Amino acid sequence: MLESVQISVARAALLVALAALLESVLSPLLTFGWVGPRFLILGVVVAVAGLRDLQALLLGFFGGVLTDALSSGLFGTAPLGGVFAGAISVRAGDMRRKGGTRIFFAQTVAVAVAAYDLLTLFATALAGQGSPPIVGYLASGVIPDVLLNALLAYLVGGWLLRLLIAKEEEWT
Amino acid sequence: MSGLTALIILCVVSLALFTIYVKEGDSGPLHTVQLGASEVLRPVRGLLGFAASPFSAASERVGNVMDVEEKRELEEKALGYEEGAAEAARLRQENERLRQLLNGQRPSFTYSPLASVVTPVGGQLTKRVKINIGTNDGVQPEQPVVVGNNTLIGRTTNQVTPNTAEVLLITDQSFAAGVRILPPSGSEDDGSSDNSHGEGLLRTNWEGYLGVDYVDLSAEAEQGDFVATSGQAGERELLFPSGLLVGTVESTSSQDIDQYKKIVVTPAVKANDLQEVRVISDW
Repeated sequence: MLESVQISVARAALLVALAALLESVLSPLLTFGWVGPRFLILGVVVAVAGLRDLQALLLGFFGGVLTDALSSGLFGTAPLGGVFAGAISVRAGDMRRKGGTRIFFAQTVAVAVAAYDLLTLFATALAGQGSPPIVGYLASGVIPDVLLNALLAYLVGGWLLRLLIAKEEEWT
Repeated sequence: MSGLTALIILCVVSLALFTIYVKEGDSGPLHTVQLGASEVLRPVRGLLGFAASPFSAASERVGNVMDVEEKRELEEKALGYEEGAAEAARLRQENERLRQLLNGQRPSFTYSPLASVVTPVGGQLTKRVKINIGTNDGVQPEQPVVVGNNTLIGRTTNQVTPNTAEVLLITDQSFAAGVRILPPSGSEDDGSSDNSHGEGLLRTNWEGYLGVDYVDLSAEAEQGDFVATSGQAGERELLFPSGLLVGTVESTSSQDIDQYKKIVVTPAVKANDLQEVRVISDW
């Protein structure tokens, strides 16, 4: 499906902005312990799936900047997470050969969320705010978080993508 | 520009933003942006917090057979008794010293107006909440936040706007406070010194428990002892006033190779139960 559609950049930017807003105001309410929805990553992965490299990276970066500006987290973490999510999504799209859209989004979001969680851990430690033991964090933080967000991407990824499609291209 | 070049540039810019944020201080541009956004988003957060409250109540009902209101009343009563007992223990043990310190008067606190907890904020590695009072109500950064009269639940961070303030909860990894362990009533007759049950630094360990660090092995701390602020946090005296109840000692343990006792503390108030709090603006 991804190869045959053209994504509207404006709609993709709107989706990323909405995801950043949700990440700032809704995500803290839905976070239990170390596990919660990562709306920014989900939004970036879906929004940039059919875009060019530079567009994808810039959308991820500015989505992260918006998230950090609206929340009280460590500034710089979300932009880096957004850039990684954009890069992973584009690269995964290039390598994709088979499998449905839902599976594609679930796998991509899983990798991007794992990267984002580890990034948050290192950023927290670097800022001197203390960090949990990495093994415990991997077991009870990253893995459940990855599974939850992959499930979320599997359920809503395809539906979100349909909102972004500007026009369908014909197969040649 | 190739994708790889853009990726490297954006990563460097992100790291630069992170470095600036950590180094700039509280009045820097990035902190100011966050403060402004916090004020702008206050109605949205309040609305979402209000919308989420029925779900919280529903989950409480599912988790408890007892009626939620009745349970809350009983918890408030129990907290009141606990506060009173801790206060009595503190006064009994430190009577003479406090009398000298306060010129014979009871410590008096100036409280902010009652504040509601609007919403949790921050990421997965932080435990912070937003309350609906700010500098307009006399709230300043780094002031103690209590439930009831003197049960400490956290302190304000530097994210204080005219109408909101962010509270760092005692269960956050970044929180630390000097505390003293006080015996419950009836156990001061052995002529032991003021600090015989131990003093230390309250903070949350990443193993998941709230504990008191740096308590001497000779300390007589026991299960059921009260934990209250000592008025010191390391070398920073009077970051918190003395005598604010934090919780009770859940367990104590030590091994031969340990340099300090391991003290686990049960907080007097659970973070999930927070609804209305007050900030101690002066003492």
